[in-house]
Amino acid sequence: MAIVSVYIEEGCITCDACEETLPEVFHVTDDTCYIKADVRLDGGYDRNEGKSALKGEILSQFEDDLLDAADGCPVDVIIVVEGGEAESAEPEEAAEVIQEVVPEPAVEQEIEVAGDDLEELLSAGDRSLAILYGSQSGNSEALAAKFSKQASDYGLVGTVYDMDGFDFASLSSMKRVLIVCSTWGEGEMPDNAEDLWQVAKQASPGSLNGVHYSVLALGDTSYELFCESGKDWDEQLEKLGATRLVDRVDCDVDYDSMAAEWALDALAAMAAVDGTGVYHEDMVESIKEYVAGGDEGADGEDGFTVPDISAESIQAEISIFRYDPEAATTGSDTWVCAMPGHLSLLEALRTIKNTHDGSLSFRDGASDDSTTAICVNGRLVLPGLVRLDAVAPTRDGSLRLRVDPLPGFEVIRDLVVDHWSMERRRESTQPWMVAATREGSATMQGNIGLMEPNMATALHSITDFASPALLQASSDAVPHANGYLGPAVLASVWARRNDPRSSASSVKGLDEILGSSNGIKAETDLASIRRQNGSGLVVSEALLDAKTHVLEQDAFTGRHGKHVWWYAWTLKSSGKVNDTVLYRQVLGPIGLLGNLTSGVTARMMSGFTRTGGDMIADMLAFIAPPAGVGKMPRQFNSSVDNHHEVVAIFNELDGRF
Amino acid sequence: MAVKYAYHPGNVSHSSAPEVAVTMESFARAMGIQLIQLPGATSCGAGIVRQANRRLQLTLNARTFAMAEAQGLNILTPCAATAGNLQEDLDALKSDQILMQEVNDTLENTCGLTMTGDVEIHHLLHAIVDEIGLDKLEEKVKNPFDFAVAGYYGPNIQQEGACGGDDVYDPIYLEKVISALGGTPVNWEARTQSVGVPGLFSEEPTVMKQAAEALSEAKAEGADMIVSACNLSQAVLDIYQGKAGRNTGLSTNIPVIHLSEMLSFALGCHNKRLAMLRTRIAVIGD
Repeated sequence: MAIVSVYIEEGCITCDACEETLPEVFHVTDDTCYIKADVRLDGGYDRNEGKSALKGEILSQFEDDLLDAADGCPVDVIIVVEGGEAESAEPEEAAEVIQEVVPEPAVEQEIEVAGDDLEELLSAGDRSLAILYGSQSGNSEALAAKFSKQASDYGLVGTVYDMDGFDFASLSSMKRVLIVCSTWGEGEMPDNAEDLWQVAKQASPGSLNGVHYSVLALGDTSYELFCESGKDWDEQLEKLGATRLVDRVDCDVDYDSMAAEWALDALAAMAAVDGTGVYHEDMVESIKEYVAGGDEGADGEDGFTVPDISAESIQAEISIFRYDPEAATTGSDTWVCAMPGHLSLLEALRTIKNTHDGSLSFRDGASDDSTTAICVNGRLVLPGLVRLDAVAPTRDGSLRLRVDPLPGFEVIRDLVVDHWSMERRRESTQPWMVAATREGSATMQGNIGLMEPNMATALHSITDFASPALLQASSDAVPHANGYLGPAVLASVWARRNDPRSSASSVKGLDEILGSSNGIKAETDLASIRRQNGSGLVVSEALLDAKTHVLEQDAFTGRHGKHVWWYAWTLKSSGKVNDTVLYRQVLGPIGLLGNLTSGVTARMMSGFTRTGGDMIADMLAFIAPPAGVGKMPRQFNSSVDNHHEVVAIFNELDGRF
Repeated sequence: MAVKYAYHPGNVSHSSAPEVAVTMESFARAMGIQLIQLPGATSCGAGIVRQANRRLQLTLNARTFAMAEAQGLNILTPCAATAGNLQEDLDALKSDQILMQEVNDTLENTCGLTMTGDVEIHHLLHAIVDEIGLDKLEEKVKNPFDFAVAGYYGPNIQQEGACGGDDVYDPIYLEKVISALGGTPVNWEARTQSVGVPGLFSEEPTVMKQAAEALSEAKAEGADMIVSACNLSQAVLDIYQGKAGRNTGLSTNIPVIHLSEMLSFALGCHNKRLAMLRTRIAVIGD
């Protein structure tokens, strides 16, 4: 009988014999042997105890090798399953499994959709979607990544594949395939698609039966052979027996809207292919509605009803910081009150002021007024934009709020802070555009300078924060670092520095600001900025780029540069950070002497308030003290296992260290 | 059944904070937690390496993820900085398949490893509350930790997606653990603020002010000691507290121990160290 599957019983001694015989199928790990995913119909990667069938081409190619591997196993844990009977102790169970996997093309336990069960269609069985891109400049690649993310809205599991190195044979087992391909030069395939295309051209008709596909072609109408590569793929897939679900769309250089439109149709159509590979065309419109949000809640003649946003009253204990500048007294007042949960925090403050204490001071304004920012239970918010029942977790059935003024600013009264310190810092950076003379483009508005959309988006994302004051307050260094410009000011400086419209002299000046002692080096921990809100995350990423830029400009000199340099260096040397090297190299002899006299070294040696540990941790302590004495770290680290891999990663990615 | 994790001890457990490594082992033994070593795992980069080369830190951490995935285990670490940095890099890789593919290509070429993202990062604190259970912890207490304790989280684990089931801005897990061990949690504001560890060597004057403010606030709120969820912050708050006090004129003398020490002591391990700590609490102060 023919072989249908192979699996590994318990007891593998990891001798590597099977892998040496047939590396295409067997992979010996540290403690057992696995059947590789790409040879199995279920795509799993384990001992294959479920006895999933192997792919037909593998079985036909390696049948003898499989038997050799099983025969050569010194502990006989490789079990070859033949034509409906397993050589195992559980024949009935094995036979049942084989019955499921032998018939082609059924491969897994899949559920056929009756026809109108949308939820089931979008969730049952195999929901994989392959998105192949052929890209020369990166546009197709970016679109493929975007579609992959969108696929989850359609109940699909998108996987992006670079055409370069893609195994054409694997396409035959895929039910849903999207191709995004640009055209290069005079109708040529992009470099990364050429090899795959040559294989596809040689493939036999019918080899892609059962595959559903659609093609998005990118091109430029100024070339004679517009979108030729996409057209080639479209025709070839059809010739090979694949089923086109959505007509190809050919995009010009301004491709965004056409690509988005194609994706709506293509993803919905792909989602209508069920786990057994049957296309339910009648479900496509329902899927589109479902993804768009459906018509739930659409009552009334206009088909639109505002959702009910009112909430029941909640019991809240609100403690508000108070400061009276005339009496120079501080403290807090607490109100226990019942208020509707849907009230904004700003409305709650207004209510307290109007009904209980007219002297309560806070900045009032529109709900998104950037100057109204305050701190609630450690969270920095614009109070007009947060609901009372969502601003902090309710614990033990009650909501306790501690409302404070924004940290890092001088308090004028109660919750009102003075933003002047931040404005002065911003002023010192000369926050206006000094543009270079550049070539303009003729538009309907006249000749104006244009910017690449990606660049414009990137610059806007850095500076589109809701409140400069709120962002500035997110840095825990701002209240303590005299003169530090702060994240809100530096984010604007960094954006202007990267703005292609800025003149060279302006960029030079902005670089000086960023690299100054009050620039990005003064920020001690970006994590505090990152954690506060959505813009904190984006800005902290931008400031990290700014820091890298400044360190590279300084060639990793000075304490900041040395800190980063030697941290990376010690990491490459052993895989671990070496505190001693870092301490010595960054601080230098003067710094070390300072720590010696200030008691820092003594505390390191004695572990002053800390517990336990040997007084002498290392023999080196006797030779080169204080290393290894008490809590002083050792002079040398032992290396991590396979340290050569760490070195190889460094050598591959950054030869500077 | 024993809870099992791939163990990443953090950046300085092997050097300037050996007490964390020792007490993690004894605590895990007492609780029946299996810590499976990752002897090939590197430093998480502590957010420092990425200042030189973001891809480099990402790839080094991807290697650690691949090793944990090969074991089929989630990663446990007692260090908040490590938990935060690993989580940040894992999120970056999982949200960008092309990036993950490129990083995997590098890993494959250099180490023969690949990762899928099928791994979770757990800080010790979140593992105790979310997975092991405070009730089980409470059952094991042998030395009630009868101190007023200021729990310090730091900013690294107080990030969206990195703090387990706790609240990002107004966390409560550390206070719950302190209560479960018989201690009295102290309410203080600096508990989630940074003490500036990444800038210690380069911006020391600022860091001394940050550390001094945290230390003095804990003292002012009546804490007997600070318990830190972060190895790096604990080391700085302890080693530099004298200098921070002198630089700022604030009162900063207070014992600072790590979460793993508190847990270990409360479960009856290292009784001599606990006695030493009691003595220090009794004699330290202004």
